[in-house]
Amino acid sequence: MSAETVQTIIDDLGALLLFTMILIVAAGQIYRAIYAVAAQSFLIAIAGGVLAMATGNVDLWVIAGVTLAVKATLLPWVLHRVVQRMNVRREVEPVIPIAGTLALAVVIVVASFQLSASLGPVRQAITGNALPVGIALTLTGVLVMATRKTALTQMVGLFASENGIFFTAMAVTQGMPLIIEIGVILDVILAALVMTIMVLRVRSTVDADIADLDRLRG
Amino acid sequence: MTGGRPLGLVLLEMILLVLLGPLVTGTIQKMKARLQCRQGAGVLQPYRDLAKLLRKSTVQADTASGFFRSIPLLVLAATVAAGALVPVVRVGPPAVPLGDAVMLLGLLALARFLTAVGALDAGGAFGGMGASREMTIAPLVEPVLMMVVFSTAVGAGTTELGTLAAHRGTSWILGWSAADFLGFAAMLVLLPAETGRIPVDNPDTHLELTMLHEGMLLEHSGPGLGCMVLASHTRQIVTLGLVSALFFPVGPANGAGATSLLLGAGRFAATILVLATYLALVESSYAKLRLFRVPQYLGVGFVCALTALALRIL
Repeated sequence: MSAETVQTIIDDLGALLLFTMILIVAAGQIYRAIYAVAAQSFLIAIAGGVLAMATGNVDLWVIAGVTLAVKATLLPWVLHRVVQRMNVRREVEPVIPIAGTLALAVVIVVASFQLSASLGPVRQAITGNALPVGIALTLTGVLVMATRKTALTQMVGLFASENGIFFTAMAVTQGMPLIIEIGVILDVILAALVMTIMVLRVRSTVDADIADLDRLRG
Repeated sequence: MTGGRPLGLVLLEMILLVLLGPLVTGTIQKMKARLQCRQGAGVLQPYRDLAKLLRKSTVQADTASGFFRSIPLLVLAATVAAGALVPVVRVGPPAVPLGDAVMLLGLLALARFLTAVGALDAGGAFGGMGASREMTIAPLVEPVLMMVVFSTAVGAGTTELGTLAAHRGTSWILGWSAADFLGFAAMLVLLPAETGRIPVDNPDTHLELTMLHEGMLLEHSGPGLGCMVLASHTRQIVTLGLVSALFFPVGPANGAGATSLLLGAGRFAATILVLATYLALVESSYAKLRLFRVPQYLGVGFVCALTALALRIL
């Protein structure tokens, strides 16, 4: 594949990633957010495969495979199970209305394009929109984490944010060393496991969620 | 400009759109019926409804002013005029300057405004309710449609629909740039709202408090109602034609003979069928949203369109 074709495909995937991110922000039900983040990870895996084909970097194939197995399949499945186990309310409980979150997401997208344009030489060295898209994904993931009350939706935000970092790293550096990527993936798995256990424990002992913890007095 | 559409062809396309509008509605209704395991009325039912309405006499509320009678004709005229701007069988700019996509959206907005004014004029509670709701939804839909149009227009450097369609070329998804994906996603979100379908509006009910468009038609009767119904059929196919011109591949661009015109018409029919299937599927698989949830739903389209624009410009 020529470099231009790869660039086009990565840009298109970036647009689709932004779309899944918008779906995550707009999701009114936890299940939809989980499916959207699974789709997002799937797109990341495709991006990894495309870059692997373009650069001939074997590590990228491994990373794409691991992403597909862990982030697009395993983690959404775990989240799904937890939602079923906990019998929580299926609606996402936002701190500010979802329409407000969407407006903030717009600000973030525009700001990340503006910011990466102001990076000057760095921006010019990286062709295409991978950098601003990655920054927008990361920041919007943080936004989701900050504006949701329940731990599960905050986890979805964390995964989305992690996807953003992953996409930027992959598209900008044409593949980081395998050991780093594996380390990052293991971190995510560990975080997911710890948080899942935390959520279930907190739930079973005090019947509260993250938002109630601000009333904790020492 | 060479390869343009002569005035005769533009008029022919306009008439074709008006004639085929009810057929699209009938097809969507038939598909919905089959999805719900019903037999459903034939695809020609909207034509029969229109013929019946045109035979009936008009009854008018005592409180309505003289302007009320001319509303249906004005609405129909505005919508049909919008139809003249959509390229159907051949792409390329029309031989005479008619207007562009902004004009088309303006005409549709004018039709919407006149419908609301007519509903308020008659003084009925349902009409007023429907008008106020329609006017709540409209400012959320129209700017986003504009942004979707602009996000493709920036790439082509023009807002003239025929030229935009020609710029799209014959390749479809493979030829899309990143912004097109988001623009198309925004369009898919907006389409049910603009054509007055679930999850924003329900075209099947006449006596329900959730309805928008049908509520505004309650005071009309006879041929006037027929005009309003025909206008809403036309509005639907014009909107679908707008999507087709913006995002779907075109037929052979500059061929002159009858074959290329037929190919163009077949291409248009296929596109409309795909979009009609999409609408039928959405209508069958979603429930109508509460009115206060509609801004959130349309917000998805807004963010998508704005992101598409950001991808295109920044």
